[in-house]
Amino acid sequence: MTYAVRSATVRFGDTLALDDVSLQVEPGSVVAVVGGDGAGKTTLLRSLVGKVQLARGEVNAPAPEGIGYMPATGGSWSSLSVAQNMDFVGGIYGLSGKALVSRRDQLLERASLGHSVDRLASQLSGGMRRKLGFSMAMLHDPALLVLDEPSTGVDPVSRVDLWRLVSEAAAAGAAVVMSTTYLDEAERAASLLALDSGRTLASGTLTDVLGSFGGAIARTASPRRRAWAWRRGREYHEYWPTALDVPFDAVAVTPDLEDVVVTLSMLKQHESELAS
Amino acid sequence: MNPAAAGAVHRPVLLAADRVSRKFGAFTAVDDVTLHVMPGEVVGLLGANGAGKTTLMRMLLGVLATTVGEVELFGDPPDRERRRRLGYTPQGLGLYDDLTVRENLAFSAQAYEVSPPELPEALRPVADRLIAEIPLGLQRQVAFLSALSHDPEVLVLDEPTSGVDALARATLWDTIREQAEKGVGVLVSTHNMAEAEQCDRLLLMSNARLVAQGSEADIIGSTTAVAVRTSAWARAFAALSAAGQPVMLAGRDVRVADADADQVRKVLADAGVTAEVTGVPATIEERMMALARAPEGP
Amino acid sequence: MRAMIVKEFRELRRDRRTLAMLIAMPLLLLVIFGYAANFKVSTVKAAVVGPQATQVAAALPSSFFDVTVTQPSDRQADAERMLQDRTVNVAIVTGRAPVLALVDGSNLFASQSIVSVLNKEGNKVSTQILFNPELKTSWVMVPAIIGLILTFIGTIVTSIGLVRERETGTLEQLAVMPIKPSTVILGKISPYFLVAAIDLSIITGLGMLLFGVPFNGNAFVFSLGAALFLFVVLGIGVFISTVSQTAGQAIQTAFLFTLPQILLSGVIFPLDSMAAGVRWIGYLLPLTYFTMISQGVMLRGASLGSLWLPFLVLAVMAAVVFLGATLRFRRDLAPGRRRHRSTVAVEPAAASTGGQARGAS
Repeated sequence: MTYAVRSATVRFGDTLALDDVSLQVEPGSVVAVVGGDGAGKTTLLRSLVGKVQLARGEVNAPAPEGIGYMPATGGSWSSLSVAQNMDFVGGIYGLSGKALVSRRDQLLERASLGHSVDRLASQLSGGMRRKLGFSMAMLHDPALLVLDEPSTGVDPVSRVDLWRLVSEAAAAGAAVVMSTTYLDEAERAASLLALDSGRTLASGTLTDVLGSFGGAIARTASPRRRAWAWRRGREYHEYWPTALDVPFDAVAVTPDLEDVVVTLSMLKQHESELAS
Repeated sequence: MNPAAAGAVHRPVLLAADRVSRKFGAFTAVDDVTLHVMPGEVVGLLGANGAGKTTLMRMLLGVLATTVGEVELFGDPPDRERRRRLGYTPQGLGLYDDLTVRENLAFSAQAYEVSPPELPEALRPVADRLIAEIPLGLQRQVAFLSALSHDPEVLVLDEPTSGVDALARATLWDTIREQAEKGVGVLVSTHNMAEAEQCDRLLLMSNARLVAQGSEADIIGSTTAVAVRTSAWARAFAALSAAGQPVMLAGRDVRVADADADQVRKVLADAGVTAEVTGVPATIEERMMALARAPEGP
Repeated sequence: MRAMIVKEFRELRRDRRTLAMLIAMPLLLLVIFGYAANFKVSTVKAAVVGPQATQVAAALPSSFFDVTVTQPSDRQADAERMLQDRTVNVAIVTGRAPVLALVDGSNLFASQSIVSVLNKEGNKVSTQILFNPELKTSWVMVPAIIGLILTFIGTIVTSIGLVRERETGTLEQLAVMPIKPSTVILGKISPYFLVAAIDLSIITGLGMLLFGVPFNGNAFVFSLGAALFLFVVLGIGVFISTVSQTAGQAIQTAFLFTLPQILLSGVIFPLDSMAAGVRWIGYLLPLTYFTMISQGVMLRGASLGSLWLPFLVLAVMAAVVFLGATLRFRRDLAPGRRRHRSTVAVEPAAASTGGQARGAS
């Protein structure tokens, strides 16, 4: 049962938040939606769970009881404790008694929150709070798990923990869609979707995306065309339309996901500048 | 110490902390940290949330007193006048949501008694929009501009690229490095390990202490990882995770931080998974994971 | 549904300020209404002047009239001045028939009681009500309401304004900028001071226009009292902002502070008739003293000299509140300074950034 959003277009007043964007996810895999602020990630995820109406396109998702959603704000209540947050969600989805307690404790253990059950959510660190939000979304064992920027602002160790939880959820059979600003998370996903201002920059598996990239990336200390170069470490990466254009004093490198996403963003910006 | 250095020109230290600690009641937020930032260098401050990074920064800025130890800004304890030569962006941007881009920059310029900076091309179309209405990437650019408006000699940036897309992040780092080339000293904290390669020097904090300093190799230290390559990656992952190993996915590879290759082989063998198991150098994240599991580790 | 109820209860338990409002407020109101609410005045201060002062003073029912001044040598003009200065509530002028009782109309409930008592004496006493001849409630209320409105503006609006810095996270930036904490406070309240001053003029004008409230006194004295009072309430607003994390909390605290002032400052229930146990609270509230000033100046044309007490109290309050607020604000904005200075000994960085291992490990 593949869940998907097909050719979605969403408008908020005058703004085109999504323009003909498609996404699909299979059970047991993780799809990453990557892009910056304003790219349309949250709108896309909210369309998938049915909180946003599409102007055009269609959504194929399970019923609300089969969806677990974690909003970008984390989703936990500050003045409730960890256990109380979980109990509340459990109550909403009709879980109670021993079934609730055992599932709750199991999830909290996996999220390394077992020792903090009585701590207030407001007293948790950012990373721990996200893990709580994740556990809350997973509580009722949803078929589709949708996470909105679970790793933004989270420290590296907690990010790895979150990734581990996400991988475990997928391994247990859930279909997982998560949005992120971190490219390394997109690299690890089964497939990715890169958005920019509501439009698709690239989609598919990592191999597909890298493979379909037309153009060359060269590493150089002094870029020829500043507008098409960006810093990587001490030097720059510069985009050239073909391998033949690479100047002699630069070294061609195999493009990684960051190279591809940055280049596609630049190309898109250039296009809109030409159009206006 | 290098005898030649003794006679060398003593470059002015911009920011310094000497055995600085900070306690809040029984809780130690920063424990015995010594560091310095020189002109022209970009120093990256890494560490988990709660490791003490923001508390340390606040002490360096002089807005929080130290419990033990001295902090110096341009050679003397930080005070309001000295902070005129410093630029700071806090985690929360430090901008007023209900003022426009221009108004925010005007306020900051007036506070530092300089004229407001010229707007770069990217910000001109939104000059008169409220901060709350522009995307995060542009907001961060405004915050930067504000911090740079008074030509500071040192920059303290708290997670300046959080939540921002790849292109905007690259642009911000462009600005940081440009400033460093001009001679400005930069202390920047980040959660994005890819940005660590943009820094001249790194500082790793864990549990209130400074556990490593120097290059990426210095930070990783002797921590290693084990890479597992197998077609049955999901089963390998599940088996290792069940065995309590700090495991993560990198593409289709399974990596275990700070683990013993033989132990990994045993767990996989017990689970009936055939795989290629190799010891590899760890990443910075894996060093941090190792520290999280064993706080006193070197 | 049950889950929702349980969650709300748990959150409520932690929200101390809302709890205070829900539980403490009703209790407070009950106590106040029980002990403070008393429209009856049991004794009034009286002065007797004129040739038969001593005899008449003795003849007055001492259960009601507390004769504090007996001056046979004083005449009607002196008696009027005593009322203007509010030394007494009623002054009896002897040496004429009928005896003339001058009543301070700016003290509404006292006057009503006095008039009803004196009316029993029939033709022997002729009563004249000064300052508020028709004993209109609006004439007494309007000066008090002016103070009330200033209290609202001062406490509620200011506390939000400063808390906003904390909420938007810009407080940290302000702390780093080369701006002094006192500059921040003064800069932030100045717009509100101006707005409040304009509001004051409008309300006073309107009050006079709509209700015919007189302005018998010195505008300068009135403005001085108002400015002083504004300082106090703005300072309280700043103080509330230093103890609040969110605008919601600030508004709640401001409300908790403003409500007692409405009830206990003598605006509605006369201070004199409150049970002593509750009256002292009234004497702690700034609005009580501003009302003395505004009623005194507008209705009685009272002089600065006679109002020395409220002016002094307000001045002291302003100083204390601002000092307290500035100190607390400084805590948020500036560091505690370390006593001794010593230069940090740092070896020049090695040529390569290989990094000597420094710091604890």
